[in-house]
Amino acid sequence: MSGMINLIDTVIFLPLFTGIVLLFVPRSATRVLKGIALAGALATFALSLAFLPLGTASAADQSVPWISGPFTAAYHIRVDALRLFFVLLTTLVGAGSIWAAFSYAHVERLRGFMFLLLAFETTLLGLFTAADLLLFYIYWDLMLIPVFLLLSGYADSQAARRAAWGYLIYNGAGGLVLLLGVIALVSQVHTFEVSGLLVNLSQSLQWWIFAAFAIAFLIKTPAFPFHSWMPPTYTQSPPPLVAMVSGVQSKAGLFGLLAFGLPLFPAAAHAWAPLLLVLAVASILYGAIAAMGERDAKTLVAFSSLSHLGFVWLALFAFSITAVSGSILMLISHGLIAAALFLLLGFVEERAGTRDLSSFGGLSQSAPRLGVFMLIAAMAALGLPGLSGFAGEFLILIGTWQTQPLYASLALIAVVLASVYMLKLYQSTMHGPERLPHGGVALDLRAREMWLVAPLLAAIIFLGVWPGWLNDRTPTAVEPSANIGLSTSNARVPAAPAPARVSLGAHL
Amino acid sequence: MSFPGVTIDWQVLAPILALAAGGLLLMIVDLVSRSAPRAVLFGIGILTCVAAFVTMLPLYGQETVTLNGAFASDRFSWTFDALLLVTLAVTFVLSSLRRSEDGGSAGAYGALLIFCTIGGMVMAGANNLIIIFLGIEQLSLALYVLAGTGFPREASQEAALKYVLLGSLASGFLIFGSALLYGFSGSIQLDAFVRLAGHFNGLFYAGFALLLVGLAFKLGLAPFHTWVPDVYEGSPLAVTGFMAVAVKVAAFAVLARLAFTIFGPAMTVAGPLTAGASLAMTPLWILAILSMLVGNLGAIRQRNLKRLLGYSSIAQAGYIVVSLVAADFGGFGGGLMTMLFYLTAYAFTTLGAFAVMALLGDGSDSYADLDAYRGLHFRQPWPAAAMALFFFSLAGIPATAGFYGKILLLEQAFAGGPWGLAMAVALVFGTLVSFYVYGKVVWDMYAYSEDEAVLPTGHAFAPWVAVAAGAAGTLVFGIAPQLFYASQPFLLMVPPAK
Repeated sequence: MSGMINLIDTVIFLPLFTGIVLLFVPRSATRVLKGIALAGALATFALSLAFLPLGTASAADQSVPWISGPFTAAYHIRVDALRLFFVLLTTLVGAGSIWAAFSYAHVERLRGFMFLLLAFETTLLGLFTAADLLLFYIYWDLMLIPVFLLLSGYADSQAARRAAWGYLIYNGAGGLVLLLGVIALVSQVHTFEVSGLLVNLSQSLQWWIFAAFAIAFLIKTPAFPFHSWMPPTYTQSPPPLVAMVSGVQSKAGLFGLLAFGLPLFPAAAHAWAPLLLVLAVASILYGAIAAMGERDAKTLVAFSSLSHLGFVWLALFAFSITAVSGSILMLISHGLIAAALFLLLGFVEERAGTRDLSSFGGLSQSAPRLGVFMLIAAMAALGLPGLSGFAGEFLILIGTWQTQPLYASLALIAVVLASVYMLKLYQSTMHGPERLPHGGVALDLRAREMWLVAPLLAAIIFLGVWPGWLNDRTPTAVEPSANIGLSTSNARVPAAPAPARVSLGAHL
Repeated sequence: MSFPGVTIDWQVLAPILALAAGGLLLMIVDLVSRSAPRAVLFGIGILTCVAAFVTMLPLYGQETVTLNGAFASDRFSWTFDALLLVTLAVTFVLSSLRRSEDGGSAGAYGALLIFCTIGGMVMAGANNLIIIFLGIEQLSLALYVLAGTGFPREASQEAALKYVLLGSLASGFLIFGSALLYGFSGSIQLDAFVRLAGHFNGLFYAGFALLLVGLAFKLGLAPFHTWVPDVYEGSPLAVTGFMAVAVKVAAFAVLARLAFTIFGPAMTVAGPLTAGASLAMTPLWILAILSMLVGNLGAIRQRNLKRLLGYSSIAQAGYIVVSLVAADFGGFGGGLMTMLFYLTAYAFTTLGAFAVMALLGDGSDSYADLDAYRGLHFRQPWPAAAMALFFFSLAGIPATAGFYGKILLLEQAFAGGPWGLAMAVALVFGTLVSFYVYGKVVWDMYAYSEDEAVLPTGHAFAPWVAVAAGAAGTLVFGIAPQLFYASQPFLLMVPPAK
């Protein structure tokens, strides 16, 4: 598999490499800059498609010894059935965002903007392929820098600067809590190469470490009540950035839970589940209700994200195999939908000059293509059958119903509310007589704008029509969590953890 | 040459003698030719560093004590010495460009830097209370004068005066503490305390606490840190950089040897410290936690980069103390390794940041004004990128040496019982605050537009060498920390811990 192995590194570092190449191109040569950046992003996506033949049982895996001091760590990267779809999501959304960035940055700052977006893509790809806890943490923390610099350097308003600090401090705090958890674990097992169940760890320590992991993941996703950084960040970010943050980065925490949190600390996950289920339902309902009352289009979608990712939290802690497999579908689908919505809202804002839903409308009169694209994305977000949002939500609700009927019913309310706020968003931007704050007629989507969103919408439709394509490929991915007592029947999950199975090997 | 009753191993003292010879040579050259260019003088200085380093090489692998047990040459002292020599060489490089704030004779300045380093090396090898005091005084007296060598600026005179007054107070604490410890053990040798391990009494604890207070003054640990921001701001640029690194390296060498020798047996077995050692060291833990908070919180409002780095150094000193909190100090991957790694990372990062400052500006002291860094990225992208890298390392962002250092420190803290946990929490909180502090500098350099760039471009070449070396060290030890372990031959003498 050595060809595959080099491929992982190539996919991870190609965006960063492209970004570095950009730094040697003069700032004024914008056409060259755009061409190189887009070529790099598209090449990354094309290369990542080569992972598709990886079946449910196979994985590309590479581990090089890295540190052997007081503890060991390895440069261990891996693409398996779980990670594959996160990688594809990143490269697809990344390419769209880079392309969308053509029209957003000031001309003299375009180069830096492209560089930081590409560097951000590398940190995300590194995170989703990391199989060593140190590597995972490194990328987890490194993500802060490009986002902070993009927010602080490329937004003009005072509100945007406040959002940048809010993002940095809140997510920095989350990262440091995660660091405490990771080091508490490593100081016991003396290695960052952790996999499977930890047999020698006391239950109370596992409880604490899982709490640290959970807090970091709750902040990053975000989930209620750790979401206060999100609405300003999403609202103030330039559209290409928010497409990446909301489309991809918001999956980092839940990915961390699937790849590390749940497999390492199953017993602690069960112990914390009651609280996390409550937070999940709170996120689902709070996000939906807040979105209904919101007048700023981007903030509305931000709150809908809070609600939709709450479903995934619910699924993971309902400990039902149906819900867990639905959660991966939901994560990927939400990534596509959120990226498409935020990019389209960027085009809307560019045309209307505002995001205030009450001060413009009827854009589909003279911009019919924009209207159709918006309709598909909005319908997918509210969970219309036939689009990708439906299948994930459906599986999650069915699975959760088997183990947590009360929470499933509460979450069901949000599905109804989603129709309310998404229809409101669509209706007030696209329907009715056309009116723009400054008068005039809205320009329809340009060819570039169409082509950069179209692949996202195509993927949404594809996964909506054939969710099994993705779902059939993920069962092994979910298997690590299967030994934590996932229920395949209607029976409630026993509180006791499954017996310890995997050891740490030579290090203990 | 020999003295009755004293055995002297001249080879062990050779590095110090080489430095002393170099310092005297500088003074003579300066005396003979009043117009010798700075490049020649500081070239001699750098050659002296190289000579001292070469005389150190044969010592590796042979741990020994000389001067009747008063001065040690071992794996502690070699690494600390090497760090001091690198710091001295970089300081010469940074001093090569004459700035408007520099006053007085360059020859005397260079000689003082060398004598200061001799003091540091004496501290690194000091194995009894008197030698510790001698080393500290040698280091401090030279530094008092150096702080005032920027006398064209009033702030420099103020800095020198403050440093002398508070430094003398610290010396008082040190000598009083040493006297009490002598009263307890009847010997000035540190080894003498090992035999009394089970019999620590109030006299011992009081003496040790006073000794810690004296060292805390030198390290700039809160609440004995009040001199730090003023002295850092007032001293000439290169002196501040030297002060920030060399004093910490030397003082931590003393602290490490004190703890490791006095509580020797207690610090070689993995697990929490023994009750006696733990009680004696408690004041240090409290000072460290205070320093992490005061240093980071105090830095928030600073608009002068040197003051900001002063507060930062308070916090960093607090972090480094964490390496002492767990036993198994001398073991592979134990506290000593952690301390050395963090000090090395800190030296590369801090000297690099000072080197960037030396690059910028027109020779006036505008380099220290944070407002002048607005939009620096547009005018000077490389210095801005290097500065950002150094500040990321100070903040502990991954892929920098500072990050791996913090991982080592936290791992040590988790092995150190309740005090270790408290320090881990303080460290993490301090780091979070420092995200804002260092993020603000990066923000200033990157977030403002081109029009606001004010800092003029410097034309010096020499500081580039230091910037490049600092950046290389920061990145290499951050990405491949294994190289640091490989660069420590003494580790081979200690069996790896299971």
